[in-house]
Amino acid sequence: MFSPAVLGQVLINGISLSAIYILVSLGFTLLFGIMRVVNFAHGAMAMLGGYALYYIYGEANLPYLIAMPLAAASVAALALVLERLVYRWFYQKMFQSMIGLLGLDMALVYSAVIIWGPHERSIPSPIDTVYRLGPLFLSGSKLVVIGLAAVTLAAFYLFTHFTKYGLAMRAAAQDVETAEVQGINTDRIYMLAFFIAIFMAAMAGGFFAQNYILSPFMGERQLMMAFIAVILGGMGSIPGVALGGLILGMAESILGTYFGSTTSVFVTFGAVIVLLIVRPWGLLGIPENR
Amino acid sequence: MKLTKGLLAAGVIATAALGPQMSSAQENEELKLGVIAALSGGGTAWGQGLLRGVELAVDEVNGAGGLTIGGTTYDLTITPFDDQYNAAQAKTAAERLVHEEGIRYLFGPVGSPGALGSIPVTQPEGVIQFVDGYATKILDNEYKDDLFVFRTGLSSSEFSKPVVDWIHEQMPDVKKIGVIAPNDAVGQQAISALIERYESQGFEVWSDFYERGSKEFTPVLLRMVTQGVDLFDLNSNAPGEAALLIKQAREVGFSGQILQAGGAGVREIVDAIGSAADGFLKYDVIDLNDPALSDFVKAYEAKYSGPINGLASQYYSAASILFEAMKRADTLDTIAVRDELENMEGWETPFYGPLNWTGEDFYGVNHQIVIPFYIMKVVDGEGVVEAKIVPDLD
Repeated sequence: MFSPAVLGQVLINGISLSAIYILVSLGFTLLFGIMRVVNFAHGAMAMLGGYALYYIYGEANLPYLIAMPLAAASVAALALVLERLVYRWFYQKMFQSMIGLLGLDMALVYSAVIIWGPHERSIPSPIDTVYRLGPLFLSGSKLVVIGLAAVTLAAFYLFTHFTKYGLAMRAAAQDVETAEVQGINTDRIYMLAFFIAIFMAAMAGGFFAQNYILSPFMGERQLMMAFIAVILGGMGSIPGVALGGLILGMAESILGTYFGSTTSVFVTFGAVIVLLIVRPWGLLGIPENR
Repeated sequence: MKLTKGLLAAGVIATAALGPQMSSAQENEELKLGVIAALSGGGTAWGQGLLRGVELAVDEVNGAGGLTIGGTTYDLTITPFDDQYNAAQAKTAAERLVHEEGIRYLFGPVGSPGALGSIPVTQPEGVIQFVDGYATKILDNEYKDDLFVFRTGLSSSEFSKPVVDWIHEQMPDVKKIGVIAPNDAVGQQAISALIERYESQGFEVWSDFYERGSKEFTPVLLRMVTQGVDLFDLNSNAPGEAALLIKQAREVGFSGQILQAGGAGVREIVDAIGSAADGFLKYDVIDLNDPALSDFVKAYEAKYSGPINGLASQYYSAASILFEAMKRADTLDTIAVRDELENMEGWETPFYGPLNWTGEDFYGVNHQIVIPFYIMKVVDGEGVVEAKIVPDLD
C-alpha cells in the first residue's frame, strides 16, 4: 500500500486533479477579484466547455490542439453575450450576484438537459493509451490534461505579469477605483477578464468531460471545488487559488488512497473550517479591514 | 392594437373550427395517473426512462380510443412530479398527488429512497403503486397485510444469487471480489446482500466506499488494486459512476474482469466511456435485439431521442399489466384492481412472458415480479447477450 509505485500513482493523480481545480478556480477568483461577482454559473460554463469540445473534437474531428482552445474560446465568446445581458447588472454587487448567477446556472443546466438530454457521454481522449513505466501506470489522457493545463497556466502568468492588459487587469483586481484614476478603461478590462475567466472554466470543463464524463450536471462538483479552492487560497488572490487548488487535489488523492474517502472528506473540509476560523481571509488573501 | 384584434379574431375562428372535434374528444372522461421520478439531478436518466415507459403505454391506450371500465371510457393522462432522487421530495410529491390531485394509480419513484419516502403516504390511502427500488422494506413493511405496492423489476435479493452462481460456474479462476459503493444507506444496504451471496459461494470479498457525487475514484481503486482482487463488481452504482469506475480502474492498472450485478443501462455506460467499456459484463433487464421489443423500440425511437433505459420497458410493461387489471376488475376501486393484479398470474406480459408474482416467503407478500434478466458483454461498444437467466424464485 505504501510502495513507491502506489505513491507515484497518487502523486500523478493529485497533480491531474489539481490542474483542473486550479483552472476552474482561477477564472472564478478573477471574476470576484475584479468585478466582485460570485459566479455561481461558473460550473455551467465549464459544462458548456465540455459540450463545445464534444462537438468540435469528438464530432467534427478537428485536431485536438486546435479543438481544445477553439472550444474554450467559442464558449467564452458566447458568454460575452451573457456578460452584456446578465453579468453586467451584478458587477460590484456581491450578494445579488450570488442569487442572480445561481439562477443563470440553473437556466443553463436545464437548457442543456432540454437540448442534449440528461444522459452522460464521453469525449474520446487524444491519447487513450495507458503507459507502463516500471510499476507505474500513466494514463495518456491525464498526462495530456496535466501538460495542457500547465501551458495554459504559464500563458496566464505571462499575460498577467508581462503585458499591458495583464498588468491593468491585476491593478483592477487590487483596487478598481485606483486603477480607473490611473487611466485604466475598466469596462474593457471587465470584458477581457470575463473572457479569460470563462475561457479557463470552459477549458477545465473540456478536460473534465474528457477525463471523467460529459453531462449537463457535471459542473456542480467543479463549482463546489472551485469555491472551496478560492476560499482556501483567499477570495480574489490569484497565487492563493493556485495553492488552494493544489492542496485540494493532492489532499483528495493522498488521503483518499491511504485513508479512504470518508477520512479524506472529513479531514479536507475540517481543515477548511479550521482555516476559516483562524484565518478567514484564506491562505494568501488579504483581510478586508486591512 | 391591430395585431391584438387580429389575433383575437384568429382565436375565435380557430375555436369555432375546432369546436366539434373538441367536443367529440371530450366524450371520454379523464383518468389521471401519477408519476414520481427523478427528472432532474443525477438520477434523471432513470426517471426519464420511467416516465417515457408509462407515456408510451398511455399513448397506446389513448390511440386505441381509451380505456373502458365499468361502461365508461377514459382518456389517460399523466401527472408527473420530480423527486430529484430524494426521499423527502418523493414524500412531498406523493402528498400532492394523492391528497391534492386525487391520484389512485402511481408509477415510481425510481429507486429505493423515493419509494421508501412515498409509501407511508400512498399505502394508508390504498393507492396502487409500482416501484423498482431494491430495498427489502419496499415490500416487507408495516403495510404488507394490505399492501398496494408492486415491484416491477427484480431487486438484488432476487438477482444476486443467480449472478453469483453464474460467476462461480463460468469463472473458476476468480477467488477474490472487489466491491465499491456509495457511502450512504442505499449503497451500504445494496452491497450487504451481494457480499453475503459472494461469501456463501466461497469467494473472498474486499469492499470500500466513496462519497456519492464524486467523479474521481482513483484513490479507492488504487486501494482495491493493492488487495489482489480478481473480479471487480460495480453492484448497483448508477450508470455514470459505474462508467467512471471502469475507466479509472483500467487507468490504474486493474486487469481483472469487471462486472456489474445490478442497475440498468449498458448503453449509458458505453456512451459515457466508449471503448474503455469493452469486455465489461453487465446485469441488464433489456435486450434491444429481442424481437418481442421491436414495436416498443420503434415507438420509443419515433417519440424520443437518446438511449433506451431498461426502466422504460419495465414501466411500460407495468402500465400494461395495470391497464389489463383495471379492465378485468371493471372498476376503478383500487382494492378490486389490486386483487385482480394479484390474480393475473399467467397473463402474457408485453416482453417478459407469462406474469409471475413471488415474494410470499421472503417479503410476506406476493408482489414481487419475476422477469428474466441478462448478463450482457460489451463487445465493440455494443451489449451482446452472454447469458439469459430466469431466476428460480418460486
